[in-house]
Amino acid sequence: MRGKKMKKIMILLFVSLFSFSANSNAKSITLGWAAWDPANALQELTKEFTAETGIEVNFEFVPWPNFADRMLNELNNKGKTFDLLIGDSQWIGSGAVYGHYVKLNDFFDKEGISMNDFSPATVYAYSTWPKGSKNYYALPAMGDALAWAYRKDWFDRPELKSEFKKKHGYDLGVPANWNQLHDMCSFFQGREIDGQKRYGAAINTERGSEGITMGVTAAMYAWGMEYENPNKPYDMEGYFNSPKAVEAVEFYRKLYEDCAPPGHSDAYMVANLDAYKSGQVAFQMNWYAFWPGVSKEDKDGRVSGFFANPKQNVAAATLGGQGISVVKYSDKQDLALEYIKWFARPDVQQKWWDLGGYSCHNDVLDSPSFPTSTVYAQGFLDSMGIVKDFWQEPTFVELMLPMQEAIHDYVVNGKGTAKGALDKIIEEWVEVFEADGKL
Amino acid sequence: MNVKKKFKGLSDKAVGWLFIGPTVLLLLAINIYPLIYAIKMSFTNFYANKIGRVPEFVGLKNYIKVLNKEAIWEKMQVTASFMFWTLLLQAVIGLGLALLLNRKFKGNELLTTLIVLPMMLSPAVVGVFWTYLYNPQVGLFNYVINFFHDFGSFDMIGSSVLAPWSIVIVDTWMWTPFTMLICLAGLRSVPNYLYEAAEVDRANKWQQFLYITLPSVLPFLLLALLFRGIENFKMFDMVVELTSGGPGSATELASISLKREAFEKWKTGYSSAFAVILFVTIFGFGNVYVKVMNKIKER
Repeated sequence: MRGKKMKKIMILLFVSLFSFSANSNAKSITLGWAAWDPANALQELTKEFTAETGIEVNFEFVPWPNFADRMLNELNNKGKTFDLLIGDSQWIGSGAVYGHYVKLNDFFDKEGISMNDFSPATVYAYSTWPKGSKNYYALPAMGDALAWAYRKDWFDRPELKSEFKKKHGYDLGVPANWNQLHDMCSFFQGREIDGQKRYGAAINTERGSEGITMGVTAAMYAWGMEYENPNKPYDMEGYFNSPKAVEAVEFYRKLYEDCAPPGHSDAYMVANLDAYKSGQVAFQMNWYAFWPGVSKEDKDGRVSGFFANPKQNVAAATLGGQGISVVKYSDKQDLALEYIKWFARPDVQQKWWDLGGYSCHNDVLDSPSFPTSTVYAQGFLDSMGIVKDFWQEPTFVELMLPMQEAIHDYVVNGKGTAKGALDKIIEEWVEVFEADGKL
Repeated sequence: MNVKKKFKGLSDKAVGWLFIGPTVLLLLAINIYPLIYAIKMSFTNFYANKIGRVPEFVGLKNYIKVLNKEAIWEKMQVTASFMFWTLLLQAVIGLGLALLLNRKFKGNELLTTLIVLPMMLSPAVVGVFWTYLYNPQVGLFNYVINFFHDFGSFDMIGSSVLAPWSIVIVDTWMWTPFTMLICLAGLRSVPNYLYEAAEVDRANKWQQFLYITLPSVLPFLLLALLFRGIENFKMFDMVVELTSGGPGSATELASISLKREAFEKWKTGYSSAFAVILFVTIFGFGNVYVKVMNKIKER
């Protein structure tokens, strides 16, 4: 009796072991990205890839505040967790220089994937290293830029429109420049609408990762700031801390002081969304990636309008977005490349846009119906033509952190001067470039 | 049989070594080796993320850089201020609560359990939920303060003046129970006959506290403060969740700064030197403190 029981257990054990090993032999890859709305859209889209190829795709989505830490640690440790990685645009330098990403040129040539089929700004930003070269380390996956959403329903109220016109002498509407943006934000600051106190704008102030830098550069680019002397790379004195750059940083602080809701001192993507969705603010600064969700969730009389980053001296916007890369340490590079080949197809790119992802493929962007396909599509097109990015150097994290600290110290903490903050950042950046052998 | 024979031949000392050997090996592998490695790294320009780059010996350059950097001293000041206020408040409130709970009254046990609860929570969780409590629009903290006196809207986390207090308040709320428990153990070890003798000598309650209670409980209190001091010197998780070290660098403690240098900027050599300096600081202070504590005990 006991022997029979033992036999049964052994058979069960054998069967379960066999099924486990059969399972582990199934073709599968793992894709890493940030945890946000577009990631869910990609998961939905990828079901078609699995149906076509039989390759399972596992997803690991990391919340934004920990995204860079988690992924860069994984790459630095030569981890095999991810076969595909949708990494931030600024990582392309370290991905290429430190050999974390597979160079895709040969693969693109073999499969007939042409970078000319993708928007030039996105190819430059998400795929190439050195910048502008023909060395490709990623396929543009998700176009993005920093933009603005506003409460169109409030803007359309006749009593508010006439009050604003009386006060400022022009119509309440999409701001033509940052001065108008400030006028409008401060117009709503502390104003009671429908029995609730409202505020001006939810802007980026986050200190830990990249938030406040992405926000303040939206102003700095619009004022015409350059990171370095175009004729002498890494010569930043007089460029990054030029009078117009200083003015832009001062303006950003004024916007924070005059227009941000109380407690908005460490806010980025989700906090800005929350402030907007809860009806606290008239404006929010955020990435295009969130607009499909915002637009879909308009309810209880809320109508959202969207516009590209306003110009001041020049038209410019902060670049977001990512390219998709194959991780060098993956044992399944062939399967990962198969995914990229599928993802680059124009029909898949169209579905990607339809599901809420921001395709960078020209067939999608150049389609006559694209600008009117959503309320934010035209803004997206406008923005992608004027984008500027933070340093994409391999040392970008070392460059980002001092800027985060110094700008937060000035804008939120109210410490020192804008010029002092920018000088301090240059001092730290010089040290980083010297250690990297660039200076 | 052979094994038995072999062990029979071992001296007591050898058997002792056999027992503690694995522990010593483990200690060497996970504590001593990394420490020595970090000291070695502190004399190089090593960057852990720059794969293939051979680190060069730079002598004392990293140490000089750390010690000459104004920002590092600012962070040390923030850490010192955080330690001073948290230890002071935890000592005073912890001792007060211990004195209260040392009396017998109805609900004593329930109250002790409730007071001890914050200590059992994860510091990261505490950091997150206090951000909600401190929210100037919907947070309970502002509501309670304004209930007693109308200060209007104030932002505990966003203000450079209030933010350092925000982390002191949370740490005190969380860890005062620890000081209280240790003091309570001290109070319960004071023999009753001392108080009886004092009453015979007509000592009043204040004199009894000053000459019996306080000297008896002081070594316990000092021990609790030593533990809290070491913990707060390396405080990280709660503050990161609560303020991320901001606004600006108003609440950036030395440990947060060290993590950023080591694992975000990847300045491994430089951050190793920083870590060694922090280690020597806390080790030095700890030693002096223990010597003072022993002297107090001997009295």
